[in-house]
Amino acid sequence: MLRLGIKSLLAHKVRFALTASTIVIGVAFVVASFVTADSLRSGFDQLARDINTGTDYTVRGELPFGDLTEAVAPAVPADLVDDIAAVDGVEIAKGSLFVDGVIPVDGSGEAVTTFGPPVAGTNWLEDESLSQFYLMEGRWPVGGSEFAIDITTFTDDSYDFELGGTYQVVTPTGPREFTLTGAAQFGFPENAGVGAIFSLFSTATAQEVLGFPGEFTVISVRAEAGADIAELQARIEAVLPDGVEVITAADSEEEFSDATETFIGPFQTILLVFAFIVLFVSMFIISNTFNIVLGQRVRELSLLRAVGATPQQVRRSVLTESAIIGVVASVAGLGLGMLGALGIKALFNALGASLPEGSLPLTLRTVLWAVAVGVGFTVLASLVPAIKASRISPVAGLSEGTTSEERASLGWKRLASGGVLLAIGLVLTGLGLFGSFDGATPQLSTLGAGAAITFVAVAVLSPLAARTVVSLLARPLEWIMPISGRLARANAARNPRRTSATAVALTIGLALVTMVSIVGQSLKVSFGERLASAFTADFIVTVDTQAGLPQTLSRDIRAADIGTPVGFDFDLVQIETLSTEAQTAVVQTTLTAARISDLDAVINIDVTEGTLDGFDPQSGLLIHSDVAGDEGLALGDQVDLTFVSGDRVTVDVAAIFEGSGFWSNWFIDSALHEQVATTAFDDVVMVQSAIDDPEAARASIDEVLDGYPQAVLEDRQEFQESIESNLNTVLVLVNVFLGFALLIALVGIVNTLTLSVFERIREIGLLRAVGMTRRQMRRMIRWEAAAVSLYGAVVGVVLGGAFGLATSAAIPDDIIDTVSVPAAQLVFFLVLSVAFGLIAALFPAFRASRMNVLDAIADE
Amino acid sequence: MSVAAPPTHAAARAVAATKIYGSGDTAVRALDAIDVTFEQGQFTAIMGPSGSGKSTLMHCMAGLDRVTEGQVLIGETDLSTLSERDLTLLRRDNVGFVFQAFNLVPTLTAIENIMLPMDLAGSKGDTDWIDEVVGATGLADRLKHRPSELSGGQQQRVAVARALAGQPQVIFADEPTGNVDLNTGAEILGFMRNAVDEMGQTIVMVTHDAVAASYADRAVFLVDGKIVDELADPTPERIRAHMNQLGA
Repeated sequence: MLRLGIKSLLAHKVRFALTASTIVIGVAFVVASFVTADSLRSGFDQLARDINTGTDYTVRGELPFGDLTEAVAPAVPADLVDDIAAVDGVEIAKGSLFVDGVIPVDGSGEAVTTFGPPVAGTNWLEDESLSQFYLMEGRWPVGGSEFAIDITTFTDDSYDFELGGTYQVVTPTGPREFTLTGAAQFGFPENAGVGAIFSLFSTATAQEVLGFPGEFTVISVRAEAGADIAELQARIEAVLPDGVEVITAADSEEEFSDATETFIGPFQTILLVFAFIVLFVSMFIISNTFNIVLGQRVRELSLLRAVGATPQQVRRSVLTESAIIGVVASVAGLGLGMLGALGIKALFNALGASLPEGSLPLTLRTVLWAVAVGVGFTVLASLVPAIKASRISPVAGLSEGTTSEERASLGWKRLASGGVLLAIGLVLTGLGLFGSFDGATPQLSTLGAGAAITFVAVAVLSPLAARTVVSLLARPLEWIMPISGRLARANAARNPRRTSATAVALTIGLALVTMVSIVGQSLKVSFGERLASAFTADFIVTVDTQAGLPQTLSRDIRAADIGTPVGFDFDLVQIETLSTEAQTAVVQTTLTAARISDLDAVINIDVTEGTLDGFDPQSGLLIHSDVAGDEGLALGDQVDLTFVSGDRVTVDVAAIFEGSGFWSNWFIDSALHEQVATTAFDDVVMVQSAIDDPEAARASIDEVLDGYPQAVLEDRQEFQESIESNLNTVLVLVNVFLGFALLIALVGIVNTLTLSVFERIREIGLLRAVGMTRRQMRRMIRWEAAAVSLYGAVVGVVLGGAFGLATSAAIPDDIIDTVSVPAAQLVFFLVLSVAFGLIAALFPAFRASRMNVLDAIADE
Repeated sequence: MSVAAPPTHAAARAVAATKIYGSGDTAVRALDAIDVTFEQGQFTAIMGPSGSGKSTLMHCMAGLDRVTEGQVLIGETDLSTLSERDLTLLRRDNVGFVFQAFNLVPTLTAIENIMLPMDLAGSKGDTDWIDEVVGATGLADRLKHRPSELSGGQQQRVAVARALAGQPQVIFADEPTGNVDLNTGAEILGFMRNAVDEMGQTIVMVTHDAVAASYADRAVFLVDGKIVDELADPTPERIRAHMNQLGA
C-alpha cells in the first residue's frame, strides 16, 4: 500500500506540487520565525561577548527599581575608580561614560540619526580591550576641542566627515564644535555596533560635555591573571558605596541576553502566530484537495477494496500519501524558511530597525518543529478524507457517475454540528475579548482558539449557504456575459461543499485583514480625535532617537520670544502614597516632568481641584482624577517619589485635573526633576506660538532648531499624520504577513479549479464541440473562480467586520473610544478578491481551453 | 464505388480524405482516401466494425478533427483551410451533434441546453423553428428541468433538439441510441427520422446497430478506413446480410 501511495503521488506531479506548496509556505514561515529569532539571539550574544572581552567586572550605579531596559542607571563618582584599582587582584580599572543623545552633524549640516539604536557619546580609553574601541583612522582626540567618530559613520557615503574638519556635535549640554581627529571601531575584529553611532572624546571632555562632571556611568575592571573571579568580586564590592554594584562579565552577558530576549521573544511569538495562521489556512486547502482527488479515484479505490484491500489499508494508503507530502513539504519549507529569515530581516531593516548581522543558525529544535508542523498539519488535514475513502464500498466503482455531482450532506447534522461549533467559537472569542485574565498569553490563546473554532464552524456551515449566496453574488455575470456568465455562475454554485472549502481559505485571510483594518482605523480615528482635543499647542518638536531633546531647546525657544514652549520629560518613577487611612501603596509608573505653570498653554489640562497658579515647583504634584480615585489621593496628600537615580522626594498633591494629561497621569515640575533625574532630556517639546502667522512662527522656531539638527518640527496636522503613519507601518507589516494566508488561498483556488476542470473534462469537450470558443471557455472558468472568491471574501469581510467591531469595542476606551469602519477599504477588498479569483483561474482556464476536444469527449 | 452527387445538393462531403495516426513504422491509416457525399435532406448511417474508422470519419467530417490528406467540405467550406477558431464557429453555426452519452451540460436546463449553440453565438435563432423543434420533442412541460431530472431517452431527445435548433447544414450523431433501451432507442430514431422527413434536415449517424441503421435512407459500410459498400433504403435483414458478407 505504501508503494501505491508513492505511485499515486508521482502520477500527479502538478497536483502534488500545489498541495505541498501550501504547507511549504507555512513550514517556511515557522522556520523563518525561529531562524530569525535565533540569528538575533546569536548576534546579540556575540555582541555581549565582544563588549565584555578584556573586562572581568562592570561597576555601575544600581537601579532602585525597574531594569535597564526601561531606565538609565545612575552615575558613579569618578574617584571610585582609584578605590577599585587599589583593590588587591585588580589589574586595571577605568571609568567610562556612555550617554545616549549625542548627535554629530556632518559637513553638509545633516544630523546623524538612527531609528532606535543609541546615538551615544563616550570617552576612549588607552586600554582598548577595556573600552572596546579600536582606533582605525587618524588619532585619538585629546583636549576639549577634539572628537572621533565610529568607523561606520565615518565611512558611510551618505555622511560627509573628513579628518581635520570641524563639526558640530549636539550634546546634553548643548551644541558644540569639535575637530575630527580619528575614527574608531566598536569591537574587534568585527564591528559590534549594531547600528549604534558613537562620538568619542577624551575622558575629561566627555565628563564635561555629556553633563557628568566628576562622574562615570560605568567602571570597567580587569582582574590580574589567575584571580578568583567570585572572591575578587566580593573584595571589590567591599569598597563600593551604597547604590553601586559590581557584576561579572558573565552576569552582564546574561543580563544583556535577557534584555534582548524581552523583544526577541515576543518578536518570535508574533511571527509564529502568523505562521500558524498560514498553516491553519493550508489545512483547509489540503483537506479539500484530498477530498476532490479521492472522489475522482472512487473507481480505483473500490477496485482495491474489491480485490481484497481492507478499509484500514485504504485509510493507511491515504495517510501515507499525506505523510509523504508533509515530509517533502517540510524539507522544502526548511530551505525556503532560511531564505525567508533573510527576507524578514531585510523587511525590518527596511522599516528602520537595525538588526545585527549574523549567521542563520538552523538548530535541531527548528528542524523538529518544521517536520512536526509539516507532517502534522498535512496528516491532520487528510484525516477526514482518509476515513471517507476507507468507507468506499467495493462496488462503488461499478455504478455510473463517479464524481461530479457529489451529494453533500446538507442536512440537519451539518447545521447542528456547525451551530454547536459556532457557539463554542463565539463564546471563547467573547471571553477572550471581554473576560478578565492574568496576563496576555491566556487571553490571546483563548481569543485565538475562539477565532479558529469560529472559522471551522464557518467552514462547516458554509455549504448550507453557498449555493444560494454564490448564485446571488454571481447573478450580474449573466447580464454581462450571457452564456459564459450563466455557466460560470452555475459551476460556482454546483458543488456547494467544494465551493465552500475553496472559499474558506480566502474567508479566513480576509476576515483577519478586515479585522485588522477596522481596529486600525478605529485606533487612528480615536487617536486623532483625542489628539485634537488633547492639546492646544501649535507646534510639536520631537526627535527620532531614544535619548530625547536637550532641555536647552525649550529655553532657547523661550528666549527667542516665539511663544510658550513646554518640554515633556517622561521618567520611570516609583510612587508611595502616604495616605493615613489606607496602607502604603507602591506604584511604578511613568511620571512627566514639565513646566507646570505653562502647562495649560499647550494642553487642555482642565484642573478641577486646586490650581496651577502658585503651584510650588519644588514640592507640588499634579495628578489626574482617575489616579486620584484609584490611589485614594486628595488635595494636600503627601506622596513619596523615588527616581531611578535613587533620589527620593516628598511632594503634595497640589492640583487634580480631569482633562487630557496627553501622555501622563502624574506631573511634577521640571525644576524639581532636574535635581533628581539621572539624565534630563525632553521627549517632546510643545510650543504655543505667540506669532499669528503660522509661516513666520515656523520660520522662527526653525531658526532656533538650527542648533538642534536632530529635532523634528511639526505642526498639529503633521504631528497627527506622522503618528498615523507609524501606525500604518505596523498595519502594513501585519498585512504583509497576512498576505501569506491570502497567497495560500490563491493556491487553493488554483488547485481546486484545476481539479474541477479535470473532472469536468467531458463537459468541456461537449461545450467545445457544440461551438464554445476557447476565449468563451477561459472566460467561463475565470468568472467561476471570481464568483467563488467573491463568496469567500464576502463571508470573510462580514466575519472580520464582526470580529473587528467586537475587538474595537473590547479595547479600553482610553485607547479606542470611537469605532470606525473603513468602508471604502472593505469594498476594495471585495474588488480585490474578484481580481484574485481571475488571477487564480489563469492556469486552469488556459488548460481547459487547450484541452483536445476529441480526447475530452472520448474520456471515460 | 460511391456516386459523386452534384455539389449543390451536398450538405457535406469528403474528397480523398486520409487520416494517418503516428508516423513511420507505427503509422496507422485510419481513413484511406475516402470519397463520400452526404446529400441534403438525407439520413445516412455509417456502419462498420470496431476500428473500421467510422468514428474517425465522423470526427473529421464534423470539424472535431482534421484529415491528414484530402479535403472535407461542409457545404462549400473546405475545413482544412479553417483556423481553430473558425472551425469552432463552423461547428457552432453549421454542424449539429448528438453523442452517445454526456450530451447535455448538467448545470443548464433542457431549454438552455437546446439554446446553447445559439447562446454561444449570441443569437436568438429562428423562434418559429425552435418552437417547432421543441414541440416535436414532446418535452414542452420539462424544459425547465435539468438533465439529471430527465430520463435517458428524454436527455437524448433534448440533445437531438439542440442539434436541430440552429438549423445546421448537417447533424452528426455518434451511436445516439447506444446507451438507451430498445424502446427509447426507437423513440429517438423515430424523432430523427421525422426531422429529416418533416423538417428537411440532413443527418449522418454512426452506428453498429443494424436496426438503428435501418431508419436511414442509406447505409455506408466502412472497413479498414475504406468505404467498401453501401445500401439504399436498408432494412435490418439486408444490413445484417451485408455485414456478414463483409466480415467473412
